[in-house]
Amino acid sequence: MEKTSGRARATRIAFVLYGVLGYGFLYLPVLLLALFSFNKSAAGNLPFTGFTLHWYADLFRDYLVMDAFKNSLLVAAVTALAATAIGTAAAFALVRARLRVTEFLRVIFVMPMMIPGLLIGIALLVFFSSMLNLPLSLGTVIVGHVVMTTPFVLLVVATRLTDFDRRLEWAAADLGANPLTTFRYIILPLILPGVLAGALFAFTLSLDEFVITLFTIGAQTTLPLYVFSQVKFGVTPKINALATLLLLGSITILMLTFYALSRVGRHGGSKHGGLGNRLRRVFGRSPRHATKTA
Amino acid sequence: MKRMREASAAVPAGGLAPGDIVRGAEEMAGAKPSRKILWGFVPIGVLQAAFFFVPLAVMVLYSLWRAEGVRVVPDWTLQNYANLFKTRMYILTLLKTGGISLLVTVLALLFGYPFAFFLVRYVRKQWQIPLLMLVIIPFWTSYLLRVYAWMGILGRKGIINSLLMALKVIEEPLPFLIYNNMSVTLVFLYLYLPFAIITLYAAIEKFDFKQMSAAADLGATPWRAFLEIMLPQTKQGVITSFIFIFIPMLGEYIAPKLVGGTSGTLIAILIVNLFRGFQIPQGAAVALSIAALITVVLVVFRRYLKVEELI
Repeated sequence: MEKTSGRARATRIAFVLYGVLGYGFLYLPVLLLALFSFNKSAAGNLPFTGFTLHWYADLFRDYLVMDAFKNSLLVAAVTALAATAIGTAAAFALVRARLRVTEFLRVIFVMPMMIPGLLIGIALLVFFSSMLNLPLSLGTVIVGHVVMTTPFVLLVVATRLTDFDRRLEWAAADLGANPLTTFRYIILPLILPGVLAGALFAFTLSLDEFVITLFTIGAQTTLPLYVFSQVKFGVTPKINALATLLLLGSITILMLTFYALSRVGRHGGSKHGGLGNRLRRVFGRSPRHATKTA
Repeated sequence: MKRMREASAAVPAGGLAPGDIVRGAEEMAGAKPSRKILWGFVPIGVLQAAFFFVPLAVMVLYSLWRAEGVRVVPDWTLQNYANLFKTRMYILTLLKTGGISLLVTVLALLFGYPFAFFLVRYVRKQWQIPLLMLVIIPFWTSYLLRVYAWMGILGRKGIINSLLMALKVIEEPLPFLIYNNMSVTLVFLYLYLPFAIITLYAAIEKFDFKQMSAAADLGATPWRAFLEIMLPQTKQGVITSFIFIFIPMLGEYIAPKLVGGTSGTLIAILIVNLFRGFQIPQGAAVALSIAALITVVLVVFRRYLKVEELI
């Protein structure tokens, strides 16, 4: 007996140690990147010569960076709006039309998620410039981003719609609400968190998108493209500073996305696995849950 | 049922009528989804037809034509595809891309499985989701920046080299840290390990661990219990992560570009170089061969495609 419990403890220690190492592997590179953005030395490596915010200030004075930042925000905002509108409409049709080909359509619609961004980017480049003779611009970038992000919105919203209790709508209709009123006061409030999560998701994906942008952009630049152009000259603390800010931005938006996901579908439990449900356990503490844990 | 429908159709539009309730009941039974909802397919249909399927079709077309200088001339040929099998560089790069993708996928599963196991078994329930989120967050942040982070560590003037030089362990930067197959593999593993952990966690979380105690009581060693009971029941997660790691890696451009150097060239780099050199038909043929490979994998494993698990 003694021996087994000793072995169990050794196993536990080994696994916990492994877990700690795993998190170290996942986070150390990013943390080091952030650390060296505060280093006084311009070489971007050891030794650490002192703390400075100089590189951050540098970024905000750099006309090119600010311009790229504006472009990135514009592209991400338009992409998020368009992808959300298109994805949500498709999700409604997919979940509610009850077609025999639903599964097939779902596979078709998520295809852009499965095909590497490189292929989408190149196909669009060939299509726009060789085929249509269209000048590349931020507009063509947005088209590429919308193609890539719409399936994500579709999946997020479709999953939430599947969990939707339609009796609420029918009750509203029976009480005399017209379809528009039902949508405005019943459906929209219930699915809004899901739609918002989809929009935020599309926004981050667009903000970070690099390969599709690389091929569909004209003379302008976005933040990831700016980073890429500078990286060719090696690692610098200024790029580290920019990368740190971008990562912080992404993480903030992701946390908001997860929060929104956790707020969905609480009126009637979800049958799906998926992140949203698991997250609900963290953020969306329903009273039922609270009494269970108490 | 038919009479009820007739009755509800007879009710004038607007206002409350008993027929409305009948209609509600019918909808509840799943009889009559509105046709109007089909309009929802129009925007996505137009978007994907115009900017996804047509461009891909154009690529197919171009791959069957010939390049003349920087132009593509509509001169039908299969030469571009024949070159795939005749040119050593294409074959070797394709094989290498497949090999590294496979290696990274296997490594991600080998390292990810114990990690997911650790999360399920050795972390308290209320901490599991926050800790899982710490795994998910890196996965959805920029690939480019995560590759860049490794450049700062492995590079000639990177953290490892500058540290070892400061400690006087070495005098010259170690040449083998970056710009080779090893650095590409390492960075790929870094990029895709979170995904393996997420999917494996979902599978292991559903596993009933009482079976393991039962197996132990019946005299099975932990290893045998794992191989014969746990692994088969978590197969779904293993295959799902296999597909979703192997496939995107085939088209991965950033990592080989930034940490691969000349010896770490993968097929994506080759494709880009072909397009940059205006050899569009050849580039299209190579790119489509990757797309074909992906399609085959997707069709073979279609039962395991739980895309929803991603989000």
